[in-house]
Amino acid sequence: MTDSTSPSAPSELERGYRRLVACYPRSFRKDNEEEVLTVLLATARDGQRRPSLAEAADLIRGAVRMRMGLSRSPRTVLNAVRLMYLGAAVELGVLITVILTAGTVRAAVRAAVVHRDPAVAARALEAVNIDLAADLAVLPAAVVLWLWMAWANGRGHDWARLVAVSAFALYTMGMMADLARGAAAYAPAAVIASSVAWAIGLAAIALVFCKQSWPYYARRAATR
Amino acid sequence: MQEATFLILTALARGSQHGYGIISDVAEISGSRVRLRAGTLYTALDRLRADGLIDVDREEVVDNRLRRYYRLTPEGGRRLAAEAARLQANASAAFSRLNARPALGGI
Repeated sequence: MTDSTSPSAPSELERGYRRLVACYPRSFRKDNEEEVLTVLLATARDGQRRPSLAEAADLIRGAVRMRMGLSRSPRTVLNAVRLMYLGAAVELGVLITVILTAGTVRAAVRAAVVHRDPAVAARALEAVNIDLAADLAVLPAAVVLWLWMAWANGRGHDWARLVAVSAFALYTMGMMADLARGAAAYAPAAVIASSVAWAIGLAAIALVFCKQSWPYYARRAATR
Repeated sequence: MQEATFLILTALARGSQHGYGIISDVAEISGSRVRLRAGTLYTALDRLRADGLIDVDREEVVDNRLRRYYRLTPEGGRRLAAEAARLQANASAAFSRLNARPALGGI
């Protein structure tokens, strides 16, 4: 048991713990900060001067879980939130692939059409550039949207579920349009990537709308 | 139910306890195998309160430090009983099958 010498002059150890507890959401700190400090100081080793690495890791892990909205949600919402983070990761992977392969794609188009009519070559390159520009605008927005949906659904915002459904409907229509243009033939990798993201979205929506998730969204709406 | 959650509820089954009390009790119940850290404990308590399995019993100030006591709710008691029954059924099944085996070093 380590006691600070007097409440007016907190020890170095207490200040260290306070800095770590500051990572937690304000709503949690308001209610629990003093108590968490009591427990931290009570479990500290005799003569301990600063928080140990293991204590710091444990506190930061708890803070991240709470900030991601993962500590209070039922298992179904928790898994939906995880899937949404996965969706963001997939979309980010696609974005990185597009950026890394842009040069190769341009070179391939140039090589394929340059020995024909230069006007055709210019038009083909322009079409590719417009496609790339569209990807560079849409993909980062998609990553942000996935992350935001994960955060908002984790916190039980009811409208976040509706945003998820609307985004999913738009995504489905966009994918249909791509397939109708024959994307499966000329861009199989892109179709596979968007199918993966689509399936992740479908599973996440099924989870946030399943029976076990309803009370969580209802309760969060009632406490606001 | 995760083991830490199970042990926290078990610690509260005898009566209300404060945070440090729960940590010591969980260590005792688990034969010093599980030593909860403050971050883990309070993430779990926060969740259990949100799920209505535990509640705040009372608060005291000891040596200028806040102590909050938690207690099991009736729903928490039911969930703990159900989980304990499940674990016991699994354990009995394991023991009965191990005992039925011809001695292969046994247990």
